[in-house]
Amino acid sequence: MGGADLIGKSVTRPDALDKVTGGRGYPVNVNLPGMLHGKLLRSPYAHARVRRIDTSEAQRLPGVKAILTARDVPQIPFCPVYFVPSDGETLIRDMLILGDHVRFAGQPVAAVAAISEAIAEAALALIDVDYEELPAVFDPEQAMADGAPQLHDGVARNIAKNPSFEFGDVEAGFAEADHIFEGVYQTQRVHTCYMEPRVCVIDCDRDGHFTVHSSMQHIFGLREKLAYALGIDESRVTVMKPPYIGGGFGGKLDMGYIEPLAALLSQKTRRPVRIEQTRYEDFICTTRNPIKMWLKTGVKADGTITARQAKSILDSGAHATHGAQVIMVHGLFGMTFPYRCPNKKWEGFTVYTNNIIGGGYRGYGAPQGCFAVESQIDEICEKLGLDPIEFRIRNALRKGDPHPFNPAWTLNSYGYEEALRRGAERIGWATRKPAGSSSGVRKRGIGVGTQGIWVSGCMGFPDIYEHTGAIVKLNRDGTADVATGTVDIGSGAITALSQIAAAELGIGVDKVRLVSASTDTVPFDAPTHASRVTYSSGLAIKAAAAEAKKRVFEIAAGLLEANPDDLEMIDAQVRVKGSPQSSLALTEVIRVAETPFIKDTLAGPRPSSPPQYKGTIMGSSSLAPPENPSPAAAMFAEVEVDTETGQVKVLRCVYAHDLGRLINPNGAEGQVEGGIQQGLGYALMENLVFDQDNGACLSADFLDYKMPTAVEMPRVIESIFVETNEPSGPFGAKSLSEQCVTVPAAAIAAAVYNAIGVRITELPITPERVLRALGKL
Amino acid sequence: MKKTLVLTVNGERHELQVSADATLLRVLRDELGLYGTKRGCDTSACGCCTVHVDGNSVYACAVYALSVDGSAVTTIEGLGNGDRLDPLQDAFIRAGAVQCGYCTCGMIMSARELLAGTPKPDEEQIRHAIAGNLCRCTGYTKIVDAIKMAAGS
Repeated sequence: MGGADLIGKSVTRPDALDKVTGGRGYPVNVNLPGMLHGKLLRSPYAHARVRRIDTSEAQRLPGVKAILTARDVPQIPFCPVYFVPSDGETLIRDMLILGDHVRFAGQPVAAVAAISEAIAEAALALIDVDYEELPAVFDPEQAMADGAPQLHDGVARNIAKNPSFEFGDVEAGFAEADHIFEGVYQTQRVHTCYMEPRVCVIDCDRDGHFTVHSSMQHIFGLREKLAYALGIDESRVTVMKPPYIGGGFGGKLDMGYIEPLAALLSQKTRRPVRIEQTRYEDFICTTRNPIKMWLKTGVKADGTITARQAKSILDSGAHATHGAQVIMVHGLFGMTFPYRCPNKKWEGFTVYTNNIIGGGYRGYGAPQGCFAVESQIDEICEKLGLDPIEFRIRNALRKGDPHPFNPAWTLNSYGYEEALRRGAERIGWATRKPAGSSSGVRKRGIGVGTQGIWVSGCMGFPDIYEHTGAIVKLNRDGTADVATGTVDIGSGAITALSQIAAAELGIGVDKVRLVSASTDTVPFDAPTHASRVTYSSGLAIKAAAAEAKKRVFEIAAGLLEANPDDLEMIDAQVRVKGSPQSSLALTEVIRVAETPFIKDTLAGPRPSSPPQYKGTIMGSSSLAPPENPSPAAAMFAEVEVDTETGQVKVLRCVYAHDLGRLINPNGAEGQVEGGIQQGLGYALMENLVFDQDNGACLSADFLDYKMPTAVEMPRVIESIFVETNEPSGPFGAKSLSEQCVTVPAAAIAAAVYNAIGVRITELPITPERVLRALGKL
Repeated sequence: MKKTLVLTVNGERHELQVSADATLLRVLRDELGLYGTKRGCDTSACGCCTVHVDGNSVYACAVYALSVDGSAVTTIEGLGNGDRLDPLQDAFIRAGAVQCGYCTCGMIMSARELLAGTPKPDEEQIRHAIAGNLCRCTGYTKIVDAIKMAAGS
């Protein structure tokens, strides 16, 4: 195979062999000569002022090379989120590398570099910090009340962001309704649980140039954030692209404290400095923000939604970080866009508390919204005796509708109804029993959750990068090097992008290599996030490959005495369309391009080929995608609830998704299966628990933070891919990843309701909550 | 204070000076450069550092190196034979069981122990055998498929 027939075929990951035999490429394995090890001293208090820090004893410990406190670091307020430019006007820059105001338990107050981790750790114990403890607040609603402790100067009632919007006339919409439903839905704080801890190795050279290795999802974002926080030019930072990282899921979508601190420690010591977070340190940063949502929906007797109104309070923790963006995405994509409804009103609050900071997490505000919106739809259908499938289709957007995010765009491909109907058929929706009707101790139920609108990247979002680029270069052996800033965080981007490059060029996928890159060598690329890589990076790689192919055709046209427009490349052969006998091997074209202009022959020097054929065959791109097409997802879950123990077991999941065009079936299934695992954990067990007196995280390790193991996962997960062929996408593709995580909680919650006949509106649905709902506790 | 530790790792004998608080994980990674054994948590909960000590799988982060003095240790680098992969490594590739891959080596070591004792495990045996190995990418579906494939079951 070597052409468009590569699209839709399962392809082995190019990095799989390396990973099953040890995996050298993770940032955690970077080891430089003379490297020092850094450790951070973290505050035990959730809200305090640092009166004084005495590092003298730690300084004297043999092996300690440098110590930093607030007075040693630039005091430039920054926002660590990679995908928003630091100079954005509305950006909330409220963090310091080290400061004297502690706002959460675990905030760093000092950093040490030493010749070993053990010495650095021992030095931390010798640093004497005098804290003045301040009153703390851990509940966002209390934080908004008069008289609550104020976390940031000039931020009244701790409200960091208060977006709102209104479409149509909600009062008129509610007046038109036959029934009005109201509910309150609460989600919890969870962690992405990437398996490779966050780690960085930073080397500052004699010229003050920083070379950065880090486990992160965006090389250019880290370059920009690091330079900004240090107060230096971006050109003084080079971020190396790791061959791969050990998971991200949005949890490595912002600069941590470790990167600027390692940079400054390196600058001070003139040696490379490595800082690797402990799992505890990972758990207390970059979490999915809890959101409480008050949701009101008006419907006509026939099931038409007439109005919807909501208020959402997001617990941002000590700093805004992603909270200011998550609230918007939550309000728009979680609540407002998915269904046709002319009258909508929403208000959101991103609220500071003394809880740990939030972060990015796959779904980015949508899971919180989807759980609320879909749970309420399930309730509406139950109360009005309507079928949840037909209700959704009646209110759903349709192909050809204007895109709710940007009416200038049209939903040119939109398979929501098809996904829903195919999924319903596969799960056996018609056999679903009335809620709570199954007899016995263990009760079974089936539920559905959907997400009708989501993104393929961030095109059209204010203040968010989306442009991306690639370089495709052909080698003499007929292989193609593809250089891009896109980081493969595990999702298989590397595979799908190789397929897209190979398909466009007309060569085998084994002839394509995603090569090493850094911020020095490739065009800017937005992060690996927002379900954007297949669509956006795919378009950039396809464009760069097309440019390289155009050059191949220019040279081959001369050699074949044909018109370049009449050529095609299949299986690494350049052929005249319709005359396959008139062809030339790609390697021959490259040879002509790369050989010296003058060839020394037995008869003396001769021109080898015309000079206009000479030069490396390559193509490059740097572009913004034209649109932001929406995928659509519907998930069905079958559960068994033990009414004696309260335990919920998910027996089977059917997940149907419109992804435009399937590039790599095996990889796409992997996204679904892993996404459902994260969604199942969110629905049933995962929860970061805090001491309500002092804000300390009580479940910051895998013994206390329960995520699904192979035993808890359903034995059957069925993926259905609806192919609607998105006209703007590479080979018709749009996005997949995040919806797989967004819909499971809603589907599982509805299935639990169907099993026991009692609705649970707070996540996670633990045995305790089930028993309480059943009146057994 | 350091003490002498003798370990046979992947068939090769090593004599090392290690401190009493050095875990097997630290010795394998930092002293012997065997990066296939990963640190995921350091609290014996994630399974990324799973290796075999005298044929039994252990979390290397939870074992003091000196406590296994004189033992034979097998890590992921010790599986297979030269360029020939272990059937599990091959099956993980073919089944698409690898995504970010950070859990993969530990997962394979747990599965290798299972297949040594139970050559034809059923699905429940497989799932329980890897329940001490966390993966966040795959939902375990294709990992279970890979182990079945390697077992020919």
